[in-house]
Amino acid sequence: MSFYSFLNVAKRVTISCPHLCRRILLNNHVKEINVGKHLFSSKPEDVTTKLMGFFDNKKNWGENEVKHGRNWTLPELRIKSNQDLHKLWFVLLKERNMLLTMEHECKRDHRLFPSPERLDKVKISMENLETVVKERNKAYHELETGETGQRPEEVRPNLFQIPERYRSKEYPLPAHLNKDFTVRKLLVKRRIFRDFLRKYREQDLIAKKRARNRDRNEVIHLLKRNPDLDKQMLQEKYPTVDIPMLEKKDKFRGHYVPKL
Amino acid sequence: MRLTSFLLSKANKKLGDVSKKFANFPDEYIARSMEQLHWRTPRAPQYSDKTIERKKFRFTTNRPWTAQFYQQNMPGTIRKKVFVEPIPPEQWMYFRGDRVEVLVGKDKGKQGIVNQVIQERNWVIVEGLNTHLRAVGADKTFPGILIQSEAPLLVTNQVKLIDPVDLLSTEVEWRFTEEGERVRVSKRTGRIIPIPSLHEETKDYKSKSLYVVREKDTEAAVVSEITFKPKLATFEMEIMESMGIEEDRIPKKTYWY
Repeated sequence: MSFYSFLNVAKRVTISCPHLCRRILLNNHVKEINVGKHLFSSKPEDVTTKLMGFFDNKKNWGENEVKHGRNWTLPELRIKSNQDLHKLWFVLLKERNMLLTMEHECKRDHRLFPSPERLDKVKISMENLETVVKERNKAYHELETGETGQRPEEVRPNLFQIPERYRSKEYPLPAHLNKDFTVRKLLVKRRIFRDFLRKYREQDLIAKKRARNRDRNEVIHLLKRNPDLDKQMLQEKYPTVDIPMLEKKDKFRGHYVPKL
Repeated sequence: MRLTSFLLSKANKKLGDVSKKFANFPDEYIARSMEQLHWRTPRAPQYSDKTIERKKFRFTTNRPWTAQFYQQNMPGTIRKKVFVEPIPPEQWMYFRGDRVEVLVGKDKGKQGIVNQVIQERNWVIVEGLNTHLRAVGADKTFPGILIQSEAPLLVTNQVKLIDPVDLLSTEVEWRFTEEGERVRVSKRTGRIIPIPSLHEETKDYKSKSLYVVREKDTEAAVVSEITFKPKLATFEMEIMESMGIEEDRIPKKTYWY
């Protein structure tokens, strides 16, 4: 990786900060966070040491496995102060950047990236951390305003009248004054629209029917192989299958005279 | 619930908890490593959410995150379906370190220790029993080295748990103690068969108390320290306050729809 691509990575990191960091940057109140600027003002050897933060410890290079712990869980994060969580977020972010750089570098060099599950553990930790922050903000907003303070979302019919999750957007004008916002309507003939919906639902029905048949065949084969299987347990596992009816129809007995 | 837990494939859900335990991998990693994705619709409003991926896997003694597993489930190959007798996960009875009696094969009647559990096939591997010889590294000039490898045994009818009181095989069931603890009990003698300590072991530690703290680990005392102090402020407000960022502008009214 050349020196310039390093710098690109560094800049990208600044931009890809979480929403919180981005908001701070946009407000122009904190200028020190700008990593790219910081790099240029330093001495050359400082730049190298800082950029090496994108790489793993040298002793882990070429290893088959890097020993490490587990991810942060929700209960552990819930007892931490906001400042701690804020710090931890950037520790995790740095770690993720390092791991992604290492993964890319290993791929480029046709080498094994040791312990790739580290990436997943960092991801889980970051997701958990965001969950905790959201919980706290929700609690504050509910107490102060009676609303969650989160982006509103609901299930509403889409263009084709199929229920879909809709996440609201923020506008400076109310809907009835906003000329840019128009409720989208389907400008096609009703018949074509109806035909489309019929075929769409048919696909769904076919999938359900196939699942039912699959379950039925599974039960037939299982009972063929293990005649003493607990039927109640089987019924709980495959609720769509009518097991007494299958028994009546001799589906899993086989086409031969039983040996007595 | 985490977002990624929705994305776990169906095949990954077939994996038993007991057989995943020793490797100590997060589910996300296992799902990611066994995934064989052919096509996923771009995440854009004009596409309905569709994925085409391999759903049928043959589970063997090779674990899903290994290269051997991938080799046995090569993309484009279909293997004959194996019908596995369903055992509800809460009724699973066999764990690593259990002493069992082998009921079939050349080691019939012998007792051994379970050293691997493969729940998705109802298998256990008993250390040193039910073995066969396998030639490793054979080529045209060299016959290879013979090594002994254990074949898996079915838990339904090929092994039986041992009662620790008289070291004889017994039927076992799950019961609750008066303290409300769920334990395995021998049907013959009514004694509790404790879950062995080997079950606790993962590839990272022998038991949780014996875990060696590594370079990037947070100390247990630091993890359990309670630093949270309830305050009437959002996360952002508190951080801004602690960093000395003052925001006195009043945002314009906006509308969500």
